[in-house]
Amino acid sequence: MEPLARRTLLRSGLLAAATAVAGPALLTGCGSGGDSSAPTGAGPRRGGTLRAAFTGAGAGETLNHFVGGTALDMVRARALHATLGDLDPSAPDGVRYGVLETIEVDEELSAYTLRLRRGLTFSDGSPLTARDVLWSLSSPADDPASLPVYRNPASTFDFGGARVEDDHTLVLPTRAPLADGRMVLCQGNYLVLKENSDFSPGTATSGPFRLEEFAPGEGCLLTRNEAFSHPEADEAPYLDGLELRSLPDSDARAAALTGGQVDLAHDLSPVTARTLRGDERFTVTSTDPPYVSGLFFRMNLAHEPFRDPRVRTAFKLAADREAMVESVFFGDATVGNDLLGPGFPDYADEIEQRPFDPDRARRLLREAGAEGMRVTLTTGPETPGMVEVATLYVENLVAVGVEATLEELPAGQLFADYPAYARLPLAASFSVPTPALPLYQMSYGARNPAALGWDRPDVDELVATARGTSGEESARAGLAAQRTLWEEGNTIAPVFKPFTTAHVPGVAGVADDLFEQFPGFSRATLS
Amino acid sequence: MSWSLFLLRRLAALVPTLAALSVLVFGATELLPGDAVGAVAGPDATEAERAAVRERLGLDDDPVTRYLRWAGGAVRGDLGTAYTGGRAVHELIASRLPHSLLLAGLALAVTVPLSIALGLWAGSRAGRRADRAVSTGVLLVAGLPEFVTATALWWLLAGELGLLPRVSLVPLGGSPLDTPEILVLPALTLAATGVAVGTRLVRSASAEAVASPWIEAARLRGVGGARLAVRHVLPGALAPATQAFGLITGALVGGAIVVETVYGYPGIGLELQQAVAHRDIPLVQGIALVLCAATLATVLLADLAARALDPRRGSLR
Amino acid sequence: MRPASPGTGAREALGPLAWCCAGVCLLVLAVAVLGPPLAPGSPTEQVGPPFAGPGAGLPLGTDFLGRDLAARLLHGGWVVLALAVGATALATLLGAGGGIWLGLAAGRGGEIVMRAVDLLAVFPPLLLMLLLATGAPAGDLAVLVAVGLAATPFSLRVTRAATRRVAATGYVLTARARGDGWTAVVRYDVLPNIAGTVLADAGIRFVAAVHLTATAGFLGLGRGAPDANWGRMIRENLPGAALNPLPVLLPAALLAAFAVAVNLLADRVAERVAGLDTSGSDG
Repeated sequence: MEPLARRTLLRSGLLAAATAVAGPALLTGCGSGGDSSAPTGAGPRRGGTLRAAFTGAGAGETLNHFVGGTALDMVRARALHATLGDLDPSAPDGVRYGVLETIEVDEELSAYTLRLRRGLTFSDGSPLTARDVLWSLSSPADDPASLPVYRNPASTFDFGGARVEDDHTLVLPTRAPLADGRMVLCQGNYLVLKENSDFSPGTATSGPFRLEEFAPGEGCLLTRNEAFSHPEADEAPYLDGLELRSLPDSDARAAALTGGQVDLAHDLSPVTARTLRGDERFTVTSTDPPYVSGLFFRMNLAHEPFRDPRVRTAFKLAADREAMVESVFFGDATVGNDLLGPGFPDYADEIEQRPFDPDRARRLLREAGAEGMRVTLTTGPETPGMVEVATLYVENLVAVGVEATLEELPAGQLFADYPAYARLPLAASFSVPTPALPLYQMSYGARNPAALGWDRPDVDELVATARGTSGEESARAGLAAQRTLWEEGNTIAPVFKPFTTAHVPGVAGVADDLFEQFPGFSRATLS
Repeated sequence: MSWSLFLLRRLAALVPTLAALSVLVFGATELLPGDAVGAVAGPDATEAERAAVRERLGLDDDPVTRYLRWAGGAVRGDLGTAYTGGRAVHELIASRLPHSLLLAGLALAVTVPLSIALGLWAGSRAGRRADRAVSTGVLLVAGLPEFVTATALWWLLAGELGLLPRVSLVPLGGSPLDTPEILVLPALTLAATGVAVGTRLVRSASAEAVASPWIEAARLRGVGGARLAVRHVLPGALAPATQAFGLITGALVGGAIVVETVYGYPGIGLELQQAVAHRDIPLVQGIALVLCAATLATVLLADLAARALDPRRGSLR
Repeated sequence: MRPASPGTGAREALGPLAWCCAGVCLLVLAVAVLGPPLAPGSPTEQVGPPFAGPGAGLPLGTDFLGRDLAARLLHGGWVVLALAVGATALATLLGAGGGIWLGLAAGRGGEIVMRAVDLLAVFPPLLLMLLLATGAPAGDLAVLVAVGLAATPFSLRVTRAATRRVAATGYVLTARARGDGWTAVVRYDVLPNIAGTVLADAGIRFVAAVHLTATAGFLGLGRGAPDANWGRMIRENLPGAALNPLPVLLPAALLAAFAVAVNLLADRVAERVAGLDTSGSDG
């Protein structure tokens, strides 16, 4: 809360004194825009149009975020539409509500009651009701083009049995007892659209901004939505406008920032981030867990040597995680423990960190008779750092006596031919920030093809128990499931990388929006 | 051959050519591994969902049926629906093509006069020092791959000197012409290669014209210098040079893919790159077909211009 | 398309510039070909922090993954040049074969084939490469085929024109009248007379092929990580140019020097051989 600190200093007249003591260091800390932004009254500075660059999808972009999976689609959607709620580890329910006041769950964990805040309206003045919430959650399931994340609620909640009790109350029955339903609904992806919205540029929206101009593949221009009511900050949003730019290349985004064409550049490659860190004109921020993306490799259990758990353990021990963090991410990443979803409440952080132990890896391979085994690791440039980490991992494998080679596919090809992907002996992948147990059910358990042969009904059962119960029982089952995954699983997850954003010092308040992997601007200010 | 007959014959020849090109485009994209299901249904789709997508997109039909369906649509101006976002391919192309045409037009506007001036100057002095200086300089530039020229110009003009924008961002809701500075670097890069190629061709055509008997005759009459070059050499050299510019325009298409990628200019080349990366097959097919058609059109235009400019009004081939 | 233009005043000796170019070509070739066996270390092993400057044991510093830049440079030229040579060979073989046949065969069949060849020439080479190379995973072969196919129509045209000139001289008719078979005619009458033209043309195609294969590397087509490739190295290391510019500058300089020198040299040679049309070499 840097602006607040500065404000306090100013009001108490301490700034001059502090400068005299701390010298120029403090001034730099305040940022170059300190003078003009110094708020004289209460609240943060209002006004200004913030320009930001994100990965987009080209001329095919639409306003339908249910089908568009790029960062720009998500950021635009969160600027246009109000969120149900966001994950917030510091909040009592683990979530911070947006349009909702509370979510209540019954004793049997079989029905969730969503209560809306009163007086919310869309940009056209029409009221925001429980019907709109239900439609926003349930309609993606009917469209086969929808992204899996938007179809998922339908596999958790029984929308057919949903009841709109009044304009402000929605009751959602679950398909099976569910303890973490709040976390499912308030992940930050679920936004409220007007019922039967057609996603055209003129549609009424509920978020902090309204659409002014939309140029697919180039960007969009948004203005403040005066009808928006922020749950915590009355005056928000503070910005007059928001210009979101679509730039597919990380270097181009950085170049637009350094050239003064945008104020904020999202998802920078590690090298670019490192270069910008050395430049005092810019502030580089990286997200912390849980808002991190896992770069992982999966061993195909159909591939003979990997059926032996000793080989799998050897492959995990061979990864020099610290070196990957240091040389690919210049230290700005987190070492992984072969489990996905670190930082989320359901992640088993009590499991000890797997060491880097090439000697033991070599010994295990020898015991398993897999010394000198040949394997090809297949990867692709799907997210910054993915190829680099794979390149280093192959060198690690060679160092423990595996005849490993790397195959890099051109951009977009790794997951394009999914049956072929599911046959790869050793395949690279990446995860987006998702709680550990829902992630397991979505993309790993129940013989999902993405699991490359992992078939353990006992673990599936444990995860279901963890999600279907609460308290001690839930925690025990969750830990047991992840312990088994850690010991016997076929995933090597050596590194979790942050989402790195660089901006000019005048930009503030972006992190207040939570859901940090995609910057939100409802409380952002620009000076 | 009369003009109308000539035009008719050339236009008639376009139809089978374009048809054959469409087979090539379709065939080449058929070679892409896997199918669209991964791109459309997403990696986490179930078997049933994948089957539904295959059904919806008609992927279970044999390639000939699918080709006919696609080509039939193309004739009616319908190039199908892009996988990303589900918009009509022809709309996407229509939103991007003008940007690229503008860039190509600018590059040509620099290339043509400059190549003619340099080529004429060097060609009239064939074999002399001036000619060799121009020819060698031009060969130097033409020898550089486009991405090297682009990266070097970017580094110098946008990076070190900071004279020009680093990324060619088109103003939202506006046209690139509203901010002409974003066009300078991409157009300059394209023009550098264009001028290099164009000058060589004009130079050799001029050198040839200079050696011809009618120039000799003009010289004997005492005509010389710029007058000789413009009045006598240029007309003879212009027709072959025009066809050369047709060739250059074709090269601009390829150049655009590189240049737009380097500068982030939202044209058809960048779109193609992204479509390929997203495995958006209908979009790739549509863009490839349109690019081929554009190349054909420029070749035809160049031929027409050459015919109009040819002082002998002779056969073109 | 156009009558071959006689390069006026190009009949003198090659000149110092050409020898200079030949020297540069040989030097770059030596780096590319002798590099892999001579390189002291592994091109893929991580030996230091990324983008480290030159220092002890690392004469040129490291690349974006902390690998020895010198080793990568020595390994990275081979693939660009080998692909260019392969593509040129493919184009020359196809072009010469087709060109001789079309030059000797008169009639409508030849015309139709020629039309088909023109069709391929309309396909922008980079588009062809983008389509083919993205279709083939880790496809260096696809790059080679695409580049070769893109160059074939031009080769074919030149060979056809040269063959026609030979056929028009009467040698061929006399030989046929003597009762020589087509194979003998091609072998003894046509080939010796067009060999110079074909080789000079191959030089020009080679220039275009170097451009295209390097561009393929730059665009990330063809065989991917961890192999070194000068075109690719420029792209991979560009973001860190501020930390250590050498990983970008050196491969770019090698590529540029080679492309420029080959271009100048091919032009000189082509002029001397037959006043060849050097257009259409840029994609």
